[in-house]
Amino acid sequence: MQAIGLSLIPVVLVVAGISVYLIISAQAAEAGLEIMDLHFKEEDILRQIANQRSQLAYATSYAQMQKKAQKIGFVSPPDDSLHHMVINGYHGQQPILIAPPPGEKNAFHGLVNTAYQESLSAWLFDTFFSPALPRGQIYE
Amino acid sequence: MNKIQNSRLTLVSILLSMASVLILLMMVRIQNSASYQELSLKTEADYSYLIESYYPERGNIYDRWGRLFAGNEDVYEVGVMLEDVMNPKTIAQTLNGINDLDYFEILQKASQPYHPINSVYSVLTNFLPSGVIDALSQIYQDYELENPYGKKQNLPSLRGVVWSPHLKRNYPENSLASNVIGFYSFQDRTAGKGYFGVEEYYDNLLAGRPMETFMHRNPYLLEDLPEVPAGASLVLTIDREIQAMVEKQLDEAVKEHEAESGTVIILDPRNGEILAMASQPRINLNQYWQFQDEFSDEKPFNRAVGAVYEPGSVFKVLTMAAAFDNGTVDSDTSYYDSGRFEYFGATIYNWNRRGNGDQTMQECMQRSINVCLAWVATEMKADAFYEYMQSFGIGRRTNIDLGGELIYPLSKPGDEGWYPVQLVTNSFGQGVAVNPVQMATAISAVANDGMMMKPHLLKAVIQNGKQYDTAPQILGVPIKAETARLMTDMLVKSLEQESSIALVPGYSIAGKTGTGEIPTDGKYGTELTNASFVGWGPANDPQFLVYVWIEKPKSSPWGSVVAAPVFSSIVKELVVYLDLPPEQAFDNQIAMGN
Repeated sequence: MQAIGLSLIPVVLVVAGISVYLIISAQAAEAGLEIMDLHFKEEDILRQIANQRSQLAYATSYAQMQKKAQKIGFVSPPDDSLHHMVINGYHGQQPILIAPPPGEKNAFHGLVNTAYQESLSAWLFDTFFSPALPRGQIYE
Repeated sequence: MNKIQNSRLTLVSILLSMASVLILLMMVRIQNSASYQELSLKTEADYSYLIESYYPERGNIYDRWGRLFAGNEDVYEVGVMLEDVMNPKTIAQTLNGINDLDYFEILQKASQPYHPINSVYSVLTNFLPSGVIDALSQIYQDYELENPYGKKQNLPSLRGVVWSPHLKRNYPENSLASNVIGFYSFQDRTAGKGYFGVEEYYDNLLAGRPMETFMHRNPYLLEDLPEVPAGASLVLTIDREIQAMVEKQLDEAVKEHEAESGTVIILDPRNGEILAMASQPRINLNQYWQFQDEFSDEKPFNRAVGAVYEPGSVFKVLTMAAAFDNGTVDSDTSYYDSGRFEYFGATIYNWNRRGNGDQTMQECMQRSINVCLAWVATEMKADAFYEYMQSFGIGRRTNIDLGGELIYPLSKPGDEGWYPVQLVTNSFGQGVAVNPVQMATAISAVANDGMMMKPHLLKAVIQNGKQYDTAPQILGVPIKAETARLMTDMLVKSLEQESSIALVPGYSIAGKTGTGEIPTDGKYGTELTNASFVGWGPANDPQFLVYVWIEKPKSSPWGSVVAAPVFSSIVKELVVYLDLPPEQAFDNQIAMGN
């Protein structure tokens, strides 16, 4: 009886190993597909942002703003009605900053979590032999 | 456990072991079979990775306050997958008239027979806005509800019609600043490029690098997605509001004086930033193909950099500045103007053919006396005169960051074709040719304590999410700071004493008119002229320089009549945009004890 049990152990282990492998592979594949899907969504969103930026620029273009101002009834003031006031310490409109200047740290560290790049053997090794090592930092 | 049970378990274990061995054997056989290997390769090619051609978004172009001059919009290409087309007539009827598409043209394209290699997909039209696609999608869905999969031939179906999005260059301001921006030939999707202006000069920077991205489908092999560098965005020194105001003023002046064309440049002499640059004609950049109609006969796209002409008396500013700087004349120097000056067999006359008697140097400038400037140049000697002109950048490119800068070489003593009489004609801006930016840059040295800054349009570059500001560059220091201030004071007084039309109430302005004669049949006369005016202010701390050139005006040939009022009108509005209060405002502030 013991001999039979012992002879079945490798079979059970192989089946268990395959099961774990399949489960992890399926999860990883799902994550991979999700990444690709996000990639396409990102492209789509970037196009939409560009499009909306252009639409906004058109709506606030010089010609459109002139039309709106005329419709509302704005007129340019006559020269002699202008009154200037000097305000000490006011230096006028400051230069535009559309993006941060160089040197500021970028918080973006990469799209794919390193946990998704582990092999099964590395995962087993980390799980059982290096439990104290924080996940996701083993390859950094 | 009895014997029977024992033998049953033994049998089960033997059967399981045999099954395991069989599975292993089958796996080995499959691994080595040719059909499996073929299938494996096919699967590898089809499903293991993805190659995608990626055209990065072309960088945006902004004005100095972040207002968009050039961006991108989402448009669609519409085509048919020939294998899936069920009812070509419905496709032709639905798309007929969109983007000038013709029913029969669509029908012919949609009816092409499918071939897996040669005939799979046919493009019907391109650059359709998303609104049209939304409507098309709705019709598609409606037909699908009535006729699923388009199986019923007697019912309409748009099966086979597909659309794919992409970005198209877009210019929200249409023709505003078109001479500066240039255009991108977006209709050529694979080989589009920037033409003229900033689009041409910074084409590589704006375009980014198109590339094919390789992406693993195997999650174990999938690493960070490849970074496709987008085109850099540019922030220009142009102020949209000032640009629009200048274009309006210029168009009105050209119309009023029945001129052939006109150009206005506004720059900040302290750093060389171009605040506005207007020229004629202009085109709607969203329909850049109009270019061929508007710019026939080799007309320059932007006259501010692409046209050279004899500037006339505005050039006297450079001659007099050079003479003061090298000590040929000073504030006490006087000249007796008889109305004519003979030099190497040629006789020079004043613009009104009259003499003015004893004149100070300031009066020479105020009355724009050709004879006086001719005398000044000859006193200065040719070598010194041309050395100064070269240091002012005459005959050299400014290297402004715009496509198509055209220059005319400066002819100097020793050059083939140079004659001594050119020294005197050059002194008042005849026989020498410049482009408007060159002239404005040279005179900006007088407005900026002798320091000539490089004219430029690029204020900042935005790349990889960071904004990199550009630094002003010094082109040279042709004259001393004292000379520059003395010239500015002299030209302020000149304008005030002649009660010039160019004056702007409340502001001290330095300036000079110019009337360059255009030779017809080899003879100079006032029938055809280049009327110009250059001025800067406030004189005690110049923050703007405005250069006006009206080409071949018919109402009057003189710069003082045609160009000076344009300058004045522009500056009256410019000081408001630049938050420059009149000097009286400072006086009031002092009076109030602030």
